[in-house]
Amino acid sequence: MSAGIISAQGLTKVYGGGTRALDGVTIDIEEGEWTSIVGPSGSGKTTLLNILSCLDSPTDGEVIIDGTTVTGLRQDDLTVFRKKNIGLIFQQYHMVPYLTALENVMMAQYFHSIVDEEEATDVLRGVGMGHRLQHLPRQLSGGEQQRVCIARALVNEPAILLADEPTGNLDQENGRIVLELIRSLQKEGRTIIMVTHNPEISQLGDRIIEIVDGKVRSDQRTREE
Amino acid sequence: MLLRILGKSLARRRGRIAFAVISVVMGAAVITALLAVSMDVEQQVAADFRKYGANLVVVPQSDTIEVGFPGVTFGSVTEQGYIEEEDVWRIMRISWRTNILGFAPFLYSVVRADSETASQDVVLAGTYFDRDVEILDRYSSSDPEAITTGVSVINAWWLSKGKWIDRSDDYRSALVGVNVADKMGLEIGDTFTISFKTHGDGNMTTSEITVVGLVETGGNEDNQVLVNLQLAQDMTNRSGKVHTRQVDALCTGCPVDTFAEEIEGEIDYVEARTVKQLVSAEMSMLGKFEGMMAMVTMVAMAASVLGVTTTMTTSVIERQKEIGLMKSVGAERRKISLLFLSEAAVIGTIGGVLGFVAGVFLARSIGLSVFDTAVSTNILLLPVAIGISVAVAVGASILPVRRAQAVEPAVVLRGE
Ligand SMILES: Nc1ncnc2c1ncn2[C@@H]1O[C@H](COP(=O)(O)OP(=O)(O)OP(=O)(O)O)[C@@H](O)[C@H]1O
Ligand SMILES: [Mg+2]
Repeated sequence: MSAGIISAQGLTKVYGGGTRALDGVTIDIEEGEWTSIVGPSGSGKTTLLNILSCLDSPTDGEVIIDGTTVTGLRQDDLTVFRKKNIGLIFQQYHMVPYLTALENVMMAQYFHSIVDEEEATDVLRGVGMGHRLQHLPRQLSGGEQQRVCIARALVNEPAILLADEPTGNLDQENGRIVLELIRSLQKEGRTIIMVTHNPEISQLGDRIIEIVDGKVRSDQRTREE
Repeated sequence: MLLRILGKSLARRRGRIAFAVISVVMGAAVITALLAVSMDVEQQVAADFRKYGANLVVVPQSDTIEVGFPGVTFGSVTEQGYIEEEDVWRIMRISWRTNILGFAPFLYSVVRADSETASQDVVLAGTYFDRDVEILDRYSSSDPEAITTGVSVINAWWLSKGKWIDRSDDYRSALVGVNVADKMGLEIGDTFTISFKTHGDGNMTTSEITVVGLVETGGNEDNQVLVNLQLAQDMTNRSGKVHTRQVDALCTGCPVDTFAEEIEGEIDYVEARTVKQLVSAEMSMLGKFEGMMAMVTMVAMAASVLGVTTTMTTSVIERQKEIGLMKSVGAERRKISLLFLSEAAVIGTIGGVLGFVAGVFLARSIGLSVFDTAVSTNILLLPVAIGISVAVAVGASILPVRRAQAVEPAVVLRGE
């Protein structure tokens, strides 16, 4: 077996309707690497990310994360594994609508372990949201909401960060801020997997995996080591 | 944090929550009212027992007349058999004797009463007022040798004015029912005569007696003249005889039926009847009411369950994204359940409190319209109402909560 922090073998996902969203995907991701996943719409990128983040299980194949075989774990065990190891950022910045920015971050602490308001505040400051702690989601711009979601994904110090088009709904300026945040997270040693449509953004990572029709079409490094 | 999430999510959906609360209120109100009315009416039945002054009446056997409890109606008295006065103490030989607070024998006869202003037939009741009755053959050697008993002991509240006759050899005093006093213009200190004509030989016996007190019971005693048993026996030439005996064994929950059986075993020519039989009408009324209310309660509870289930199901569907999000950041199914069940508990608690308040008013109006009494609700029903409401709300949320547990974050968090 390889020493990668994430190792997926022959992942296949067939949805209820018969759609074969993934078809034998095998990838191996090194610790501390920033991997971009690209591919046309409907090619199975989100499906792959959901499986890697333990939100969904594959129809066939196996996922090993940090030495743990997560495939076949029960739902609650997957949840526990996820909260300990993985931070998630979605394309739609999902926030609990009636909780403030700070509370949305604290909620993740609550479900993870214990609530620490100071720490939550610090993380929000880190993503440049220190001045919007008590705002409700509807009082925040899209970019601000996405930053809150990043803070929420980070607050429990996950080793792996999975992001599904985190800049997809943002304008250039906000997109740039978010990408810089992700870059600094990688510098801290986190493993990052990011789905994107934007070729320019995909170049920011160390490695680009292209998915087409549920299969890995290409897998290349962006620069020579 | 849970409290914060809970508080804010409830506050944001005030309208829906109010709907659920109202449906719980209905159930809680009906239950509160049902319990309040039954408890209160039962208490009043118990009070009626006390009002009747005794909870057992001992009469001679094969006495076929309807006993118009607590007195015996005039027409039937003459046909009755007698109980021997010398057997009176035997009542203290039953195994439940320590629960017998006292007893009083009664001998009834119709006499002519003449005062300065009126002359009419009245029922003369000879009885014990305050007498030491010797227990000739004690059940156990640790029993007392005598019991102090009589009307003033078991029916102390009968006296509305004046005083009791305190000596058993006082043949010149009487207590007069308020109706008699009223009709005959008698007051305390007044003297009047009573006379009795024996059936066979037509001999007349007359006594002059003084009113020492007035009795008011709301029952037959109001129309009687009460004197010492000996006087009544002597005047009517029936020494050593009594008609009935009232036994006061009141302690709620006592097996009075057993008392009755034991007494019948001890004095073989008597029948002991419990007041319960005599007030059974009141009880059966209550029973019918409870049956009806139980049905209403079931309907109200069903409505409560339906209301809560609907609200919670809608809530779960509306909040699918939120649930998925919580799961994606690490909420196990248990925590999701906790969140929704806590919501249900809050709904149940508020509904229970409001339902209790509504129930108090409902009970009052039911009491007035059905039982002619002012029902007061016991505050102990508040925790009961809350407990039931919380149980209903939580129970009604189980299916919606299952649904929340089944939410798949991968599906609901996928874009619009
Ligand atoms: N829950 C589902 N049930 C059935 N089919 C699904 C489901 N989710 C996704 N699919 C299908 O699986 C395929 C892959 O979807 P996926 O979301 O992984 O694509 P994607 O690469 O993320 O596309 P996009 O770039 O548009 O986000 C699509 O054909 C999609 O319609
Ligand atoms: Mg996608």
